[in-house]
Order: sequence, then structure tokens, then C-alpha cells
Amino acid sequence: MSTPAIQISGLKKSYDNVHALNGVNIQIEQGQFFGLLGPNGAGKTTTINILTGLVRRDTGETNIMGKDTVKDYRFTRSHVGIAAQELSVDWFFPIEKLLYFQAGYYGIPAIKAKPQIDQLLDRMGLMEKKNSRLRQLSGGMKRRFQLAKALVHDPNIIILDEPTAGVDVELRHDLWQYLRDLHSDGKTILLTTHYIEEAELLCEKVAIIDAGKILKEGTPKELTRELGQSGITIHLSGYDKKLIPCLSEYTYTQEKNRLHFSVDDPDSSLPNIIKQISSCDIHIQSVESSSSSLEDVFLHLTGKGINQ
Amino acid sequence: MNWIGLWTLIKREVGRFLSVYKQTILPGVISSGLYIVVFGFTLEQRISEINGVPYTLFILPGLIMMTTLSNATSNTASSMLQMKLLQQLPDLLTAPLSGFEISFAYIVGGALRGFINGLMVIFVGVLLIDMPVQNIWGTLGFIFLVSWAFASMGLLLGQLADTWDHLATMQNFFLTPLSFLGGIFYSIKMLPDWAQTISYFNPIYYMINGIRHTILGVSDSDPMVSFFMALIMTIIFSLSAMLVMKSGKKIKL
Repeated sequence: MSTPAIQISGLKKSYDNVHALNGVNIQIEQGQFFGLLGPNGAGKTTTINILTGLVRRDTGETNIMGKDTVKDYRFTRSHVGIAAQELSVDWFFPIEKLLYFQAGYYGIPAIKAKPQIDQLLDRMGLMEKKNSRLRQLSGGMKRRFQLAKALVHDPNIIILDEPTAGVDVELRHDLWQYLRDLHSDGKTILLTTHYIEEAELLCEKVAIIDAGKILKEGTPKELTRELGQSGITIHLSGYDKKLIPCLSEYTYTQEKNRLHFSVDDPDSSLPNIIKQISSCDIHIQSVESSSSSLEDVFLHLTGKGINQ
Repeated sequence: MNWIGLWTLIKREVGRFLSVYKQTILPGVISSGLYIVVFGFTLEQRISEINGVPYTLFILPGLIMMTTLSNATSNTASSMLQMKLLQQLPDLLTAPLSGFEISFAYIVGGALRGFINGLMVIFVGVLLIDMPVQNIWGTLGFIFLVSWAFASMGLLLGQLADTWDHLATMQNFFLTPLSFLGGIFYSIKMLPDWAQTISYFNPIYYMINGIRHTILGVSDSDPMVSFFMALIMTIIFSLSAMLVMKSGKKIKL
């Protein structure tokens, strides 16, 4: 069996008195597309920041390609490309120059980096903007630049922290396709996200993290088969505060006017939920019933929605 | 050792300050020229000579040193704090670069800016008042040594600072007063005894008198003491900056 691309065991981290990670264990095989799914503050970014050297671990082990990320940091960092959630800003240099700098930090001279940089600028649709400063790019372009920067040294392992946070639908789909292409080229990808659809669509394996602990791990299919309930999604014509006491006996997630309920038996639950909402004078726009999804698994494991 | 990484970061740091030379090179030249014209030419009517040297000539080495050390300090301090605040630092911290390599590259960048600024003021002095330089290699070497020391100090400040206000406090309440009280515009022999004693505790006094010795051949302090003070500061600040970078204090959580 080959060495795991990433292996994390018993990882703990506290900030002052806050336990950010409470013994995280994750193993990611080479070539795997792995999703770390959890709400904001669950410990996703802390985990990857420890892996990449931005945060110091308290206890536990973090290995990349079988080597310790602290002791053998030169080896482990040279195998990893990271696209951070926070977009960096540079006022001084054009973006092409920034990519050459990034390649240089990884020990790649400009002449060797050129083909990869040209290819990335082209693939990301940034070739025409190569002489622009970052501040002159749109939000979507900045996000694509962030990904180009992570790939400039052609790493085996790509870590993406919420890569599609705040981007429009078109760009999100474009980035998803690019990530699929990278995966089919044999790259190992660790993706953190709080978009359930993203994890479901892209990842071969998913770990659900909350409050610094991995609650469950498996393929999306395994998880939904084992833990998922059926889902009922109701779109309301508008949000009303009286909804909260009205639905107090149900567990559901809410995003604006969309409510999602995880239920065992949709046939018997659906009429009751509709009756309850209608009795509170809240207008229903549409109702959908679906088979089990990761959203239901998450709700089942944590008792809350991923964005709550 | 990641030599290409180190060289890349040095190029970035030098390129950064050269790309904004109107903010990083020219102001030192202009303000030194103004000091010479306003202070030198007007006060020279009233203060003919200090230690046997015409007043305008006397103040020039101090101006060179003040320009050098303030530029060296602010280059590393502002570059580091800017990288922290604008989320650029993770690019370095996640790359296969050691704390030593990152610190070294920053210090080289700051030391070069300080050195170039010092050199420019020497040119101004030579052009405006035909300043003689008695020991050219000693002068250049001393300027570089002091640039290195203060670039290291700036890096340390940049790493430890959280806001621009912290840096401004250091610059306005410590560095500038110590420079002015280090004997740029006067010889400490003109001060009362108690003020002379206090001056001996001001490290910048030794820097100013060291450069004054290499340029004019006159100095309030022993030139060897000035050299060793600069050397000790260089060692202490370089090691401190590198150790803080390695430890990740205020940089890594």
C-alpha cells in the first residue's frame, strides 16, 4: 500500500482557552479527492493551516507523504500547493511577476517556471491581465489567481480552503471543472467547504467536522446510506419571525426563504409540516421531496444546519 | 538551503522599494539637501566651526547616518507589517523557506535601501558643498554595517507590531529623537556634563560619530568604540530578528 498523501492523528490545538481542534484524525490517500465539510469555526482552516505551517500544533502528528510537516517542512511544503480562503493583496507587482516570485520561493528558476506560468495564466483566463496589479482584477479573477499561485510549482497535493466562497455560479462551475481535471491528472486534493453540494459533487471521500472533531468519515454514498434521512425542501414566499416558534418541534436548516427538513418518512411528515406552516399564516411557494443527501447527514450528526 | 527561494525574496524586497523610489529614495536626498541649505548656510554665519570643521560640513555625516538608519529601519518594518496585514505573509510561511532565509532576505532589502540612501546623501554633499571623504571604503563599510543593524531592528519591529500605530510610535518617540540627540547638529562637547553623560547611552551617537570620523577625520567618540557598537548592534538585532522569525512569534498562531 502506498504512503498516504496526508495523515493527521490526534491533532489538538487551542487558542487561549478555546479548543479549536480536539483530536482530529484524517487519512487521505494519494490521488484522492477529499472534502472536509463543516460550518464556519468547525476547525477546517486550523487543520489545513497546521498542515501548511501557518499555525503551530499543540499535540498530535501531521504527515505529508510520510514526512512530518514540522521536522521535514522543506520536503512537505514543496509537495503542497495551498489556495487560502483569504485573498492576499500586493500593490507593487503585476500578477505575472507574482507568479514568478511564487515559483522562486519553491526553488524553481524563472526559465523553468515559464511554461507552467503561461499555461496557468491561459487556463485561468488571466493572460490578458498578466501585467495588471491585483487590485485591478475582479473578485473572480483574484480567486482564479489564488488558485494559479497554488499550482505554480506543480504540486502533488493541492489544499483548497473554501475555494468557491463568495464567487458567482458561473465561476463556481468553472472552478469545479478545473478541480475535476486536476484530480483526473492524479493530483490529491483536500478541499474544505461549507457548501454541501460542492462536497457531494466533487469529493470521493468526505469527513464531517464540527467543534474541532471529526464526526464521521466516508464516501458521500456511504454516509447518506448509513445516516441520511429523506429531505423535504420548502420555499416560502418570505421569511417571517413567527416561523421559529411555529416549527419548534422540527429539526431543519434554513437559508433565507428555503427550509430543509430531514425526515424518516416524507409521506407522513410532509402533510404535517405543511399544515403547521399554513396554520401560522406563512405562505408556501413550493415543496420538494428528495432522497437522502449530505445535508441530511450533517443535520443528523450535528442537529444543526451547516450555515447555522 | 533554498538558494533560489532566498534570491527570489531578495529580488522581491529590493524591487519593492525601487518600484516606489519617489517614496523610498528621493525624500532622503531632498530633505538632506534642504537641511544643508536651510540649517547649514544660515547657521554657518553664526557658528563658524565645530572641532575645526565648517558647520555645514560638520552636520553632513550626521544627515547621512540619519537618512541611512531611518530608511533601513522603515523598509523592513513596513514591508513585514504590510505583508502581515495584507495576507501576503502566508505565501512565504507555506513555502519551503526557513526562518533564517526569510529574515536574511528582508534584512538585505532593508540594508540596501539604507545604503543607497546614505550614498545619495554623500553625492548631495559632494555636489553642494564639495564634501571631502577621507576614508571612502571605511565610510561605505560603516554605512552598510549600520544599515544592516537597523534593517534587522526594523524587521524585529515589523514582526512584533500589530498596527501601523505601533511602528509610528517607535519611529516618532524613539528613533527620531535619538537621532537628533545623537549629535547630528552639534558636538556633545558643547553640552553640559550631565547631557554628555546621557549621550553616551544613546547608540546613535556612536553611529553618527563613527561616520563623521570616516568622512571628516573628527569624532567625539573613539572610532573603534563606534565600530564595535555598530558591530554589536548588528549581531544582536540580526540574531533577534532571525530567532523571532524562526519561532513564529506574532506571525504564526
